[in-house]
Amino acid sequence: MLIDEAVRFLAQIPPFQFLEAPLLRELAQSLTLEFHPRGTAILQQDGPLPEHLHIIQKGVVKITQRAKAAGAEDVVIDYREKGEIFGLVSLMGGAQRTTIVAVQDTICYLLPKARLTELTTSHPAISEYLLQFHLTKYLDMTSREIQGKSLFLGGSDHLLFTTSVGEICRHASTVVTPGTSIRQAAKRMAEERQSAALVIGGGGGPIGILTDSDLRTKVVAQGLSGDLPVSQVMSQPVVMVDEKDPCFEVVLKMLQDDIHHVAVLREGLLHGVVTNHDFMVLQGRSPLAFSEDIERQTSLEGLAPVSQKALTIIGALLREGTKATNIIRIISELNDRVVRKVLELAEQEFGPPPTPYCWLCLGSEGRKEQTFRTDQDNALVYADVEEYRQAKVTDYFRRFSVYMRNGLVRCGFEACPANYMASNPDWCQPLSAWKRYFSRWISEPSPEAVLNSLIFFDLRPLYGEESLAWELREHYIRLIPEYPSYLGFLANMLARNRPPIGFFGGVAVERSGEHKDGLNLKIKGVAPLVDIARFFSLEKGIRHASTMERLEALRSTTSLVAEQVDELVHAFEFVTLLRVHHQFKQLEAGQPIDNFIRLDSLSNLERQSLKNAFRLIIKIQDQVMDRYKSFIL
Amino acid sequence: MGLAMWWQERRGGGGTQALGALRFTVLDTELTGLDERRDDIVSLGALHMQGGRIELGGAFQELVKPSATLDGRTVVIHGITPEQLEASPPIATVLTAFKAYSANTVLLGHCLAIDLGFLNRDARRLKVGAFRQPAVDTLALYGWLRHRGSEHPTFALETAHLSLFDLAAAFDIPVETAHTALGDAFVTAQLFQRLLPLLKEAGVDTLASLRRVGDPDQATASLSAKPGHAHF
Repeated sequence: MLIDEAVRFLAQIPPFQFLEAPLLRELAQSLTLEFHPRGTAILQQDGPLPEHLHIIQKGVVKITQRAKAAGAEDVVIDYREKGEIFGLVSLMGGAQRTTIVAVQDTICYLLPKARLTELTTSHPAISEYLLQFHLTKYLDMTSREIQGKSLFLGGSDHLLFTTSVGEICRHASTVVTPGTSIRQAAKRMAEERQSAALVIGGGGGPIGILTDSDLRTKVVAQGLSGDLPVSQVMSQPVVMVDEKDPCFEVVLKMLQDDIHHVAVLREGLLHGVVTNHDFMVLQGRSPLAFSEDIERQTSLEGLAPVSQKALTIIGALLREGTKATNIIRIISELNDRVVRKVLELAEQEFGPPPTPYCWLCLGSEGRKEQTFRTDQDNALVYADVEEYRQAKVTDYFRRFSVYMRNGLVRCGFEACPANYMASNPDWCQPLSAWKRYFSRWISEPSPEAVLNSLIFFDLRPLYGEESLAWELREHYIRLIPEYPSYLGFLANMLARNRPPIGFFGGVAVERSGEHKDGLNLKIKGVAPLVDIARFFSLEKGIRHASTMERLEALRSTTSLVAEQVDELVHAFEFVTLLRVHHQFKQLEAGQPIDNFIRLDSLSNLERQSLKNAFRLIIKIQDQVMDRYKSFIL
Repeated sequence: MGLAMWWQERRGGGGTQALGALRFTVLDTELTGLDERRDDIVSLGALHMQGGRIELGGAFQELVKPSATLDGRTVVIHGITPEQLEASPPIATVLTAFKAYSANTVLLGHCLAIDLGFLNRDARRLKVGAFRQPAVDTLALYGWLRHRGSEHPTFALETAHLSLFDLAAAFDIPVETAHTALGDAFVTAQLFQRLLPLLKEAGVDTLASLRRVGDPDQATASLSAKPGHAHF
């Protein structure tokens, strides 16, 4: 009777509903029922670990976490109610990271940890479901909390994605010496259930790492003997991070270096190893998993659908409260991988290039500031060839870049309406031609030339012979100081795009059309900040392309804005977050994506922050006008 | 258990275990009537609680083969058919099994004195030894809390309405319409869960203090101290 009731209950809630009735009945035998009056703290943050999985039969609980800042209010992470579970993450190991309080009289079925473990082992689908449900739920609610407060405050305070890597790394990693045999090391890895072994040199520091993938690709696939020392097949050097590094930084490093294992140091000494798997568990949905998916593809047909999935990752990152500037960096990193993959496919299609080339991405792609897939902005530079080969080479790259354009379209990157693409013969040129372009734009500036040049100053080599891109960059960096009138033109352009401060007084910004109450955040908020960072970087010969990097580099210069870097960074962070959120909401609602923010959709704090950002832009624009007034038209 | 503690237990005094460490057998009987001289137990239901946790598995539920023919009236009340009872084990078997089931636990029931009266009568008659372990009554606990003047809204009930089901309704405990001994024991266990936090708040946190305020023989004492007449 008691059992029947519990079975009926469990049969209605996931994941237990997926179990056969006899198993449910057996499971119910091990349940206990607990009552918590309203206001009881059922589990305490940093308190004892639970011994049961809690399944709410009745009532509601609130899950909170102490705010990092002293004196700040606890952060509400989630509310759970009838049919939901809690305590899973702490059961799975680690610490009790949250406090769970009954906000109504609450009755829970308790499933003992041992039974849960049995269940997850015998039914992998259950464990997958539990983890996924729990994490996504956690993330969903977090974002709701952020949106409930303000985008600005949401930040990255309390979230998984900014957990330090020390908190999730594995301590008990296998450690071997360079002379250990491969077989012995593999045996130890298997015994200790590690996917990697660290190879420690004479000095006690890690000199290499032997991973599952090394064993597969270097030992088994090559038919090497297991008696060889690990030093012959280990991966080098070991990428090391500090335990205090935020997980985001480490994920980025793993993406960039294409590695799956990173050694974690505590005060300079080896502390543990963190793997991409750890992050996947942490995140539910993983950029790493996504990038692996991309790597696995061998055809455009396979790549296209995978590439489209990038959008779901942005959602996950937003939900995790990742800083907007970090989100756009990750997105760019993922997009880069798609583009590189298409380039590999193109090389397979047309054979090896007749001369070294470099694929350049421009504009927001070059600055690593893409939000959602915008259009393609790219170009191609190749090494100069002898006159007699020119026709053939031109033909190769023409076909090559048309394949690229079409391939990228299939992967979700729309063609650039202004035709800033390598498939445009103008933007697929040998290095000497590119140098001539820049020389002409800089020495004979006209409004049109300046406008044209802007997108190319944000170039970034993505694939191929990078030195071609660097040579081109050195060319224009050297040229700019020689032509003050060019900077004058830039200053003029920069000073003219005034943010509409009247927006806040209720003055309509776009006076007609469907966006008449909206503010174009890209043009009026993001672009002026990007322009400011670019302008002062060119002025000081700074070689970075991304706005954040440019601003950081300006900090230590004598630039007009050196003192205002912090404010500019905050402003950029804020308008970017506002834009990403706005677009993501549209995306989720199935609406077309735009950049138009409505004033009434902003909280007071957001309005205030936006106003501050606008004031800062205007102030700097005034300073620029003052300094370059002889050029201002 | 040390000798001194055993002695204390016998005297119904000590027992310093915290409530959470106690193991309870929550029980209910269905009877043919309330007259110990001629009525009988027709069913016995019980379950275990570890501290405040009700264990769903391992419940005890037995119908009892009657020693004499039942009159029709009682049978209707309890919803048990004569055929079912005839096929059930005799009280001796049930009692022996229940002795084992409840060994080393604290007995808990609503108006437990009545159940214990019948159980001990039969135990004596069958020479299986009376139930002498600590016993706690949820009605007594409720009465004590009420007498003490708790703020909890459920204590505003009319004393005329203090049956297990009135209390269950007041504490928002679901009750199935077809009453069985086990079902009522389950309701009693849930009632005890609701009372526990109130008791803790009132400083009742050991077996000794629980027994003091939950004595089955005093179940109606604190209630009758207030005006009105209680009938159960």
